[in-house]
Amino acid sequence: MKPILSAAGVGFGYGDREVLRGVSIDLFPGEVTILLGPNGAGKSTLIRILSGILAPRDGAVLLEGRPPSAYRRREMARLLSVAGQDPPVDFPMTVRAYVGLGRFPHQGFFGGTSPEDAEEVERALAMSELAGLADRTLAEISAGERQRAAVARAIAQGARVMLLDEPTAFLDIRHRVAFYEIVTQLKETCGIAALVASHDLSLCAEYGERIVLLSGGTVAAQGRPEEVLTPSNVRAAYGVAVACDRNPATGAIRVTPLRGMPPAG
Amino acid sequence: MTGGGKGSGAVFPVLAAALLGALALSAATGPVTVSPRAAIDALFRGAGDTGARVLFSLRLPRALLGALVGGALASSGVAFQALLRNPLADPYILGVSGGAAVGALTVALFLSADASPVLPLCAFAGAALSALGVFLLARRRSGVSPERLILMGVVVGAFLNAVIMLMVTLAPPGKIPGALYWLMGDLGLGTPRRVAVLFPYVALGTVVLYLLSRGLDLLLLGDAAAFQAGLSVERVKTATYLTASLLAGSVVAVSGLIGFVGLIVPHGARVLVGSGHRRLLPAAFLMGGAFLVLSDTLARAASPTGELPVGAVTALAGAPFFLHLLRRNGRRP
Repeated sequence: MKPILSAAGVGFGYGDREVLRGVSIDLFPGEVTILLGPNGAGKSTLIRILSGILAPRDGAVLLEGRPPSAYRRREMARLLSVAGQDPPVDFPMTVRAYVGLGRFPHQGFFGGTSPEDAEEVERALAMSELAGLADRTLAEISAGERQRAAVARAIAQGARVMLLDEPTAFLDIRHRVAFYEIVTQLKETCGIAALVASHDLSLCAEYGERIVLLSGGTVAAQGRPEEVLTPSNVRAAYGVAVACDRNPATGAIRVTPLRGMPPAG
Repeated sequence: MTGGGKGSGAVFPVLAAALLGALALSAATGPVTVSPRAAIDALFRGAGDTGARVLFSLRLPRALLGALVGGALASSGVAFQALLRNPLADPYILGVSGGAAVGALTVALFLSADASPVLPLCAFAGAALSALGVFLLARRRSGVSPERLILMGVVVGAFLNAVIMLMVTLAPPGKIPGALYWLMGDLGLGTPRRVAVLFPYVALGTVVLYLLSRGLDLLLLGDAAAFQAGLSVERVKTATYLTASLLAGSVVAVSGLIGFVGLIVPHGARVLVGSGHRRLLPAAFLMGGAFLVLSDTLARAASPTGELPVGAVTALAGAPFFLHLLRRNGRRP
């Protein structure tokens, strides 16, 4: 199977500070890839490079065989959507209007909203359980609800590749599960390729086909959950001692932190 | 209050009626009483008494100028607020006002005895130059960030303000009062010719901004998210910047510095129609026009000799009204 989005040997730095070195990852249709790594490992930078905001210093990014710079903006946005930045709260924008902005790549710059656009927006709102909040402004809902709205906007964009930068950070356990269920549903029904940057070590093992563990700007490990989530990998990347076993209820890898900090290095 | 009038189609007829009402009130206010009958006679038969001439050559042009200036300032404010993602931005925030003032004062104080024909042109050139300067100073390879634009705008604005003080200090004494009066902002220069000078700029600027509406909506998401949603961010930002500066600069050139309208009318308009620019821009134009025409009418009624600058009234009358509006919709910023 050919990857729909691939990065090969990507390196990047801000000025003299190197942030990524030799990062290679492939995203496949119908697969959820989880991007793990401690704070500052370069996850967000990698997502900015994959979405074409930043150009890699070394290596190459290919979306369906073409680099992001070779796309017209709206053409690329129809293929790839991103949920990362928090929704704006300084201006009174309703949740529905915000999610509706995801339809921009399907509309003319001067065009209006088609019935199909409205339908996709309502579908994304319903999937994210935001239909009841659709007429509230973004300032009137909670941080977790805003985060779900950001994901809903990416869903409304209707792209086959979704990059989601820590989409569950502010969510309670129920909405975390709901988020992964939504991604799974999109994967199974629409065949999307998703990259989810996350700190949910155990939940992501339940839902992710593949895990990429980023540490210090390089890929420390990648593969199936049981290959990546080992005590030594987790300790090397995060500096915590963990026990890894199988969840007896689901059979997925379970990562449990152990008390006490291991000596540094 | 969560609906905030969003989706209610009655907003635009009401706002248009408000603007027409303000224009009519402005035309009817003044030391010379003009009966509606005399006005209609003069309109259809060409000739007319003194009252009719006052109406058509003084009051109506002045009212129209007020509507154009108020509408343009409010539209420009909407655009700058979206561009900078900052609801506290106004049309003067990036040094446009200072540049225009320096341009106009150079001519008015030092070059020509009767400079009125070229004065707007020079003010406009000054505004355009300072806007361009701020833009280039703030530009980096990675693009133009709102923070850098605001910072450079403040620095350039402070510098230009010092230049203005220096110029006024060094000017021939007889010319100082006129210059100061212009700086405070007024519509007394509302001859038909000035309406004609301003109209093309305002028409062009507001139409271009309206065409950019969808892009302005997306700019509110922030540069990265707007880019990822499919917007050519730098292109839209450059077009918005140039257009909003053109609007503000041409207005300053004709009417001096009138504060408050471009800052606060966009907030009022958002309360009525929300943040979508397809509705927000026309609503802000109508509201800004009506607001400034009413403020000018009030200024003329309060001081028939015409010494009270309209800029003072916009703040005096506008601040309490909009505070009320904003407090009533307290959950909105």
